[in-house]
Amino acid sequence: MFDRLMKAFFVFLLALVTPGLSSAQQTLRVAAAADLQPVLPPILKQFEAQTGIHAEASYQSSATLATQILNGAPFDLFLAADLSFPQRVIDAGKAEESQPVRYARGTLVLWARNDSHFARLSIDTLKDASLKSIAIANPEHAPYGRAAKAALEKLGLWDTLRPKLVIAENIAQAAQYVDSGNAEIGFVSLTSALTQRLQADGHYVTVPAEDYPPIIQGAVVVKGAAEAQAARQLLLFMRSSSVRDQLVPHGLAPTN
Amino acid sequence: MDYQALWLTLRLAAFTTGILLVIGIPLSEWIVFTHSRTRPLIESLCSLPLLLPPTVMGFYLLVLLGPRTAFGRFWVHCFGHPLAFSFGGLVIGSVIYSLPFAVQPISAGFYGVNPAMLEQGQLLGAGRIRLLRQVLLPLSKRSILTAAILCFTHTIGEFGVVLMLGGDIPGATRTLSIAIYDQVQDFAYKQANHTALLLLAISLIALIVLYTRSPRPQVPHA
Repeated sequence: MFDRLMKAFFVFLLALVTPGLSSAQQTLRVAAAADLQPVLPPILKQFEAQTGIHAEASYQSSATLATQILNGAPFDLFLAADLSFPQRVIDAGKAEESQPVRYARGTLVLWARNDSHFARLSIDTLKDASLKSIAIANPEHAPYGRAAKAALEKLGLWDTLRPKLVIAENIAQAAQYVDSGNAEIGFVSLTSALTQRLQADGHYVTVPAEDYPPIIQGAVVVKGAAEAQAARQLLLFMRSSSVRDQLVPHGLAPTN
Repeated sequence: MDYQALWLTLRLAAFTTGILLVIGIPLSEWIVFTHSRTRPLIESLCSLPLLLPPTVMGFYLLVLLGPRTAFGRFWVHCFGHPLAFSFGGLVIGSVIYSLPFAVQPISAGFYGVNPAMLEQGQLLGAGRIRLLRQVLLPLSKRSILTAAILCFTHTIGEFGVVLMLGGDIPGATRTLSIAIYDQVQDFAYKQANHTALLLLAISLIALIVLYTRSPRPQVPHA
């Protein structure tokens, strides 16, 4: 009995390590900023329908993705949430372009659940003394976090609110913290606020555009990428007028 | 359910377990029988991954395997891509991360072998390799199976090292534990729940198998 169990387990192991039917299909690997998580999947599907190129995306903060690319991660295209992180990739000699290709402009909003204490949310809610926790993306890693910090500094609230900040690794996680009720209000991307789930659970106010530097999102094709040609094609597709128009109702404005 | 991630995770665990048994058996034999003064150091190094935060290992492996070290450059030269962010890199990371789960049960099994049997073997002229094959291994089967199951399930449950060393690349380094992290971040709670339940079931079944088969001392009824 014991020997049989042991044999079965090792046969199972052996079956797993023998090379399986690995698909030789070409895959375009996209390193995408977390604010694209709600909007990119349908665009990648359309791209595949048009060109036959299958693309897979990993969503993280722009800083995490830039670090991974600098350390040799096999990405073909980097869609960041600002211009500074693709610039870092360029400075390290790891990009095809000499400057980031602008593809969209992000919008920062303040969001709260409908069942929270802050049913009538406004920017002044930030001054409410009863406010206990505010979700924000890490200002060092995430462009939306940096924008939120800039807005709080502009309002003169950064120092007083600092102990109340709950810091998420990226902007999608910030949305998760506040939607799950673990933070009372949160700075999230408009792309998150406009998802079905967040629209059903809560409401948002737009942070005035003059309170933070514009979130211009830039992209680069990774130098020496296996699918560089496909990456250039996807970037062109992202900047086409049809995709730009499609992005607007999902929270990404066009940029020049 | 992310079947790509499931398949990847099972393959990673299988490779890791296989490699760990190949390394762990001779290493444990050495630990148990050596008179070398370096034994405490080697044994400590083998157990270190139990205590270290996965971020420490992830960070050092990322640097050591990356294109900025001689080894990393050599790898890129031979294979055209760096080890970090690849399946091969994850296997290396997992082998180091789960090393104590191989060495501890196997060496405990070897320690438990009756020394008289080893002496008899020696008197009959058996060398170290023959003793290992014909005395130690047959008498430590249970420990070896324990090591294999622990290595397998521990690798399935790995998160920190995989995230730091592998990134989150679908089909290459996105394991089930990373897929859950992604699904939660994407508000896909239902999918996250399915994946999490699967991991819970695998771990629980593995432990039940281990505890059902482990011998218990006979405790007299009070």
